[in-house]
Amino acid sequence: MLDLLDDGNVDDDRLEAVRVADMERDEVTRRSVARFARAMWIVVALLLLFNSGQLITVVNGFGVGPVQDAAVALSTTWNEQMEKNGLAKPVAVIRAFVERLRGAGWSEVHDGAVELRGTYGEAKG
Amino acid sequence: MGQHWALAGMLFPTLEFGIFFLIVFTVGWGLRAAPALRKYFLVAASYVFYGWWDWRFTGLLFATTLINYLGGLALGKAERVGFRKFIVGVTVAVDLGVLAFFKYYGFFLTSLDELLTTFGLHRDLPFLEIILPIGISFFTFQGISYVVDVYRGHIAAEKSLLDVMLFKSFFPQLVAGPIVRAADFIPQLHAPARLTRDHIAVGTVLILTGLAKKMVIANYLATELVDPVFFDPTAVGALDLLIGIYGYAVQIYCDFSGYSDIAIGVAALLGYRFRENFDQPYRASSLQDFWRRWHISLSSWLRDYLYIPLGGSRGSEAKTYRNLLITMFLGGVWHGAAWTFVIWGAFHGAMLGIERFVRTKLNELAPPQAGDEAQILSRLGNFAQHMVGVVWTFHLVCFAWIFFRADSFGTAQDYLKGFADWTGSHDHVTPFLVGLVALGMIFQFTPRNLGRELALAIRVLPSPLLGLLLGAGILVIWAVAPEGVAPFIYFQF
Repeated sequence: MLDLLDDGNVDDDRLEAVRVADMERDEVTRRSVARFARAMWIVVALLLLFNSGQLITVVNGFGVGPVQDAAVALSTTWNEQMEKNGLAKPVAVIRAFVERLRGAGWSEVHDGAVELRGTYGEAKG
Repeated sequence: MGQHWALAGMLFPTLEFGIFFLIVFTVGWGLRAAPALRKYFLVAASYVFYGWWDWRFTGLLFATTLINYLGGLALGKAERVGFRKFIVGVTVAVDLGVLAFFKYYGFFLTSLDELLTTFGLHRDLPFLEIILPIGISFFTFQGISYVVDVYRGHIAAEKSLLDVMLFKSFFPQLVAGPIVRAADFIPQLHAPARLTRDHIAVGTVLILTGLAKKMVIANYLATELVDPVFFDPTAVGALDLLIGIYGYAVQIYCDFSGYSDIAIGVAALLGYRFRENFDQPYRASSLQDFWRRWHISLSSWLRDYLYIPLGGSRGSEAKTYRNLLITMFLGGVWHGAAWTFVIWGAFHGAMLGIERFVRTKLNELAPPQAGDEAQILSRLGNFAQHMVGVVWTFHLVCFAWIFFRADSFGTAQDYLKGFADWTGSHDHVTPFLVGLVALGMIFQFTPRNLGRELALAIRVLPSPLLGLLLGAGILVIWAVAPEGVAPFIYFQF
């Protein structure tokens, strides 16, 4: 995969060609930076919306002080709002699913396999 | 007496690092029109990152960087062979001296104290409380590679202290590698920094896979399987011990290769390219093959700066075996000041020697045959031989991991003794943990270009979709992973 990151140096040493290539590279870089910056802000928004509980954990680590207290209060209110609007649910559903997997024993795996085989048999029949 | 680790720093899979990276990415690329300022900023960011663990060690990082820089400059000016040897010798000795003091002083005195006590010669030795600077083994090796490469003429002496500082302190690789070579990195600092769709795609794939490997597979295996089993091997059954060591093999791979993936991905997003550090190591069909795939930046460092200078395989067979043993022994010691690491390294060295001997003898006894029929038989034979080799190598590596992971030689002995009795319980062999081990092993046998294909698919995505993919990926990983973030295993080295 890392071969995709070849340096792409131009062999042509004519000044004009090099200048044009540099300008093109600058433009590609400018557009790529803007593209990834936009993507990162979307990531931030998604995390603030769907993972607001984590925000409280981080803010709680800031220490004690008026600014910190305000940040804690703000993040707690934000988290409550997200929970009220059901945005904390997807993460909770995933966590519950993983918890079920963690607690599953071999007998449940066996039962699940039998059930799956039965469903497959019915569908085939 | 003793040694402490400073591990309360900024870990990759945390929101703190996310915020840090957001700032570095935005400001760093904002300064791209002023390359020198950009480098100053990246050096400052790297020192902040390092200082997050313990700010006192930023002074040590700077001092060793300055020594390497001055050594390089002196080598660039010196012409007499003897004087050049003297300069490189002094610089490498200072690097190794600093490493030895922080990493091995306590171990040396403890071992000496035990030896003297054994012979009834107890003395009060000058024990010290030493805090091991995080990442010291990695940046020391980078510094050594720089001066040795200048000495060998592989690269010119770098005139800019700023470039040498950035080479040595660049935060993605600073605390746990990959060990970056000056010949690979410094030329990138001389060219204008670039970011393309390829950099973004590769960075995204590597960061997501690295996070998944570390936060999900490695963390669950560590907390629910490996730590309990290694805590007291006498309290668990043989099947637990077996799945425990398979689990550790997968855990250490996912932990370390996950860190390397994130480091390479973060560097790519800042416009720099690091080399691959892992290449599906458990699909190796021999130990030699394993060391071409595992921690590639360290194994190639040991090859180029230790094994080859010792003579490599150029001399007699006996000298080759000696060189292998010394290299792997020192590779073991590099990992830590403990006898368990010494045994781990020596075992790999000895087995590499045995493997080489057996291969030479087999080639003498059964030279490759010619003809169509022979080729078909040979192919079938090669496949079977390959599969046996993969299973055998994996188990040899697992055996050595017992010593690597055990906190003492006694624990490793208890672990091995536990395999004598298969009647005990096997509480840790749950479908979830076995599934995680299997998942980690599947990573070893996926097509080699899978990551590349994923990157090619991602590179065409518009930014909203890219953001959704990255955000959803991080959210799912965070939701699936256990609470809290365990430090990366290789931070302690």
